[in-house]
Amino acid sequence: MSEQIREQVSAFLDGELPNSETELLLKRLTRDGELRESFGRYALIGEAIRGTTRGLLTKGFSGRVNLAIDGELIPVNGHVSPLRGPRWWRPFAGAAVAAGVAAVAVVALQQRAVAPTLRGGAPVTARMAAPMPVPTREAISYTVPTTSPAAPAAMPPARLTNYVFAHSRYSSGLDLRGVIADLLIEAEEQQPAANEAAHVAP
Amino acid sequence: MTWVARNRAGWLIPCAVVGALLAAVPQRSRGADDPRDWLQKMNQALATRNYDGTFFHLSEGRVETMRIVHRVRAGRVSERLQSLDGSGREFVRDNDELTCYLPDQHTVLVEPRPEHGPFLGSLPQFGADVNEFYRIESLPATHILGRAARVIAVNPKDQFRFGYRLWLDEKTAMPLKTQLCDSRGQVIEQIFFARLDMPESIPDSDLAPAVRTEGMRWVRQGPSHDSASPALSAYRASELPPGFRLTVAGAQTIGGASVPASHLVYSDGLATVSVFVEAPSDAPGAGARVTGTGADTGSSAPAEPPMQGLARVGSGFAFSTVVQGHQVTAVGEVPAQTVEFIAHSVKSSGGADLPRH
Repeated sequence: MSEQIREQVSAFLDGELPNSETELLLKRLTRDGELRESFGRYALIGEAIRGTTRGLLTKGFSGRVNLAIDGELIPVNGHVSPLRGPRWWRPFAGAAVAAGVAAVAVVALQQRAVAPTLRGGAPVTARMAAPMPVPTREAISYTVPTTSPAAPAAMPPARLTNYVFAHSRYSSGLDLRGVIADLLIEAEEQQPAANEAAHVAP
Repeated sequence: MTWVARNRAGWLIPCAVVGALLAAVPQRSRGADDPRDWLQKMNQALATRNYDGTFFHLSEGRVETMRIVHRVRAGRVSERLQSLDGSGREFVRDNDELTCYLPDQHTVLVEPRPEHGPFLGSLPQFGADVNEFYRIESLPATHILGRAARVIAVNPKDQFRFGYRLWLDEKTAMPLKTQLCDSRGQVIEQIFFARLDMPESIPDSDLAPAVRTEGMRWVRQGPSHDSASPALSAYRASELPPGFRLTVAGAQTIGGASVPASHLVYSDGLATVSVFVEAPSDAPGAGARVTGTGADTGSSAPAEPPMQGLARVGSGFAFSTVVQGHQVTAVGEVPAQTVEFIAHSVKSSGGADLPRH
């Protein structure tokens, strides 16, 4: 991805990209899967560092990351553009920096209450470790078991699509938007089940 | 008001309850900056305006580009939601019928959807019951797409439900960006517009599907006129996460199966979980549900084995288990623990008399 595209992506995520350039970026994103992946990573890492990981990363930490990456900025015409200011994701000049920030995001995301998983029916690894307790406001404890590549397959994506489509009729609020969007996304091929938590019974 | 105006039969009762609570509970002074007023403006804008926009849907670092076209003309609502870069799937709603084109599965799903809300969703009024489990607040204003935006957060108070952050256009109240967040405030999924036009008129051609349907199977599914069997209808969740209650109990044809499943809907007023209870495929009269979306007979193809386990469906979850030989599947845009909780608690209650949709 060229520096210009990086600039456009980061400006867009900052809400600073002019409409004319937004149209161009949109066209590129529509036809360039690799760019979409990068775009998604930038957005994800951005959210991980900006305010949306409250309680996980300290303000000071974010500042240090910003400073560290600002240090990697390659000045344009002798200075960093004051218009758009420092953007931690913009240059990603070195693989080490990118890997470092990605690792931060991964660590942050691992703190999520739900395990990172797959679309369209692939199983997740989170499973109740104990019988379901009486409803409380407290967190339910989860154990994430190790992956077992020999485990059987999970719910067929097409079957899940049927359930989700039927459910969308009753989705309330903005859930409906998410459900509809999820239905539009192509179900990925079944991947090996992660553990016995998701399997087809004999 | 839009949400109420959907007039989904099953929601009439909870809506009436919310309305009664709103009337009964003293409202604190609400000014122009009250976030609940802004959410209502958003609902109004989503339901009544013409718009044509392209947005990004981000989940787990993956990006999909989608186009939404929404037209209201002479009281008739038409909508088209299209994946621009991935599956080629499209949803087209023409007033009271929703058609889902799934070229990757060579299938077209059709379902009646009278008075359905906009694809981009809307939020209900926040009555006392919703306020008990969600906290709504305004965050500092910002700019997005070069426009001034209000930022509203709907935060869940526990881990059984997700929350939202919404960036609403100061002028139109259209949501320029929305985030689905967990109880810690971490983003699970987000949608933001790259382009959003609100034209006076939208031509029919912009609402026509681009998918070629030659050779595709057409499957009609939806609420069944036939009741689920008494055995299926007797199943209910015996325990629920705080705030959830049964709002709909009825029958639903799933994927062209010949026998309807029992479909239960549980809601806390904002989040919704569907529970499907299906007879074993080898039960008398059960009818085999076939593998794949394109089942159109459900009677001669090999039956699927029962499922057990948790699966991610977009930003929500599905959890399947077998209860007394019946397949029980809970699906919802809620945390994994919520669908697991509900599915695990489903039991035969011996035939309760509950409202149907």
